[in-house]
Amino acid sequence: MTLPRRQPASVAEQAASFAATAEEHLDDVYAYLVYLTRDRSLAEDLAADTFEKALKHWRRFDASRGSARTWLCQIARTTALDWFRAEERRRRREERAAVPERFEDGGLSPGLSPGLSPELEAALRELSAGEREVIALRVLLELDGDEAGRVLGISPTAVSTRLSRALKKLEEKVSIHV
Amino acid sequence: MSETLLNEIRATKPEAPSALRERVRALSVQEHAREPFLDRLRFTWGWRRLALAVPATVVVAFAAAGVIGLSRDGARDQVSAVGGGDTAVTSSTFEQAQAEDSAAPKAASPALPSRATGIVPPATGQLQRYEAELRLQVDDVEALSTATKRAQQIARSHDGSIASLQYDAPSEGVGTAQITLRVPTARVQSAMAQLSQLGTIVGQRYGIDDLQAQADSLQSQIEATQRQIAQLVSRLQSTTLSDAERAVLQSRLSNARTKLTGLREELRGTNAEARTATIYLTMTTEEIQAVPVGGGRLDGVKDVLAWEAIALLYALVVVGPFLIVGVIVWLMLRLRRRHVETRLLEQN
Repeated sequence: MTLPRRQPASVAEQAASFAATAEEHLDDVYAYLVYLTRDRSLAEDLAADTFEKALKHWRRFDASRGSARTWLCQIARTTALDWFRAEERRRRREERAAVPERFEDGGLSPGLSPGLSPELEAALRELSAGEREVIALRVLLELDGDEAGRVLGISPTAVSTRLSRALKKLEEKVSIHV
Repeated sequence: MSETLLNEIRATKPEAPSALRERVRALSVQEHAREPFLDRLRFTWGWRRLALAVPATVVVAFAAAGVIGLSRDGARDQVSAVGGGDTAVTSSTFEQAQAEDSAAPKAASPALPSRATGIVPPATGQLQRYEAELRLQVDDVEALSTATKRAQQIARSHDGSIASLQYDAPSEGVGTAQITLRVPTARVQSAMAQLSQLGTIVGQRYGIDDLQAQADSLQSQIEATQRQIAQLVSRLQSTTLSDAERAVLQSRLSNARTKLTGLREELRGTNAEARTATIYLTMTTEEIQAVPVGGGRLDGVKDVLAWEAIALLYALVVVGPFLIVGVIVWLMLRLRRRHVETRLLEQN
């Protein structure tokens, strides 16, 4: 019995393969990060960081354990959470120094996506990052339950439950804004 | 949830700006150029490789045990074949051997090869000093123990006794038992015949000294002394003896009587010596191999495996608590990280 494993490639092939993968999934990673952070500028920076990390660890990527898109979304999520943590620490330091500079919507790049209706845009912004990310993964990127669960570190059932609650909440908020 | 909203979300999927696209395209080229040398050599261990490593380790452990155990057996065989090495001091004494087997006397084992002794019987009606030496070989320590006990029984059954006994059964080398038996000369032939059946005869020697002349001489001296005493007594009964003469005769009579007593003692000793034969019995085993308890060629393999298991157990005992603490800490950190992540995702 042979275990499926990624064939070792030369450095040039590796780089070329990574470039193709990055090109293919760049939009997905960026869209996911936009939904997660509600900030297109920030999402752009985090996406760049994500691909930098991905290239660094490209040798460790094992296609038999999941698709490249799932792997990239996992890295993107970790990158975003690291940024959230750093931002929280920064806010705490500023609060202790009595110079409040809150991370507010006003500081974000306007609009999740140019084509979204104002009601849906507002409703999405009012959701938590956790709710937005499950919608991004399941609706926007159309990952299946297993893949989304792998990105979020939860079971497919938990993904379904979380998605259901998020969509219900989104619908309620859209109806309020209409 | 209305399908319209879902479609709207899908239709308005954010697209990466061209600046980001260019950044990512440039990344791979730049990263390729400055990829650390160690990164190219890095060997990552996946769970599947680890899962393969465990049975591989077990196979290596068994193979090593087999090689070490069997080669050790081979080395021991070579040592015993050349017969080298000092014999270790016995770990089992004769008394222990006796205690181990308190079974009733039994005939010599048919497995022990024997042949009839070519012993010359002592002459009847004549005083002789009879000594025999018998050297036997037995199979192993167990046979040596049994034969030693049997030799004692043979001595007793022939109205004899054990004058001395030395028993040595080392863990390696040659086991020996040296027994000096005294049995009536009249029954020495029967005793020797039975003793010779205790093992394979590797040597025998016997010697007969004539004691009859010595006994006859002693008897003559006794009779002469008795006559001398009779003459002295007769002369002492004379009334014409002076006091000085009487004192001299009295002294001679006393000396003659002392001499007679000594001669009679000596004659009794000679007769006793002629009545009892001495048998020097020496029994040896073949080369004893230091077989570990349990015996068998695979025992070496089992020994090594046992030591490997002990080492593994020791390592587990030492490392185990650290591993458990490590796993607990890792689980707690993971739980905390999850909790923090959930909070961060709720807040943003």
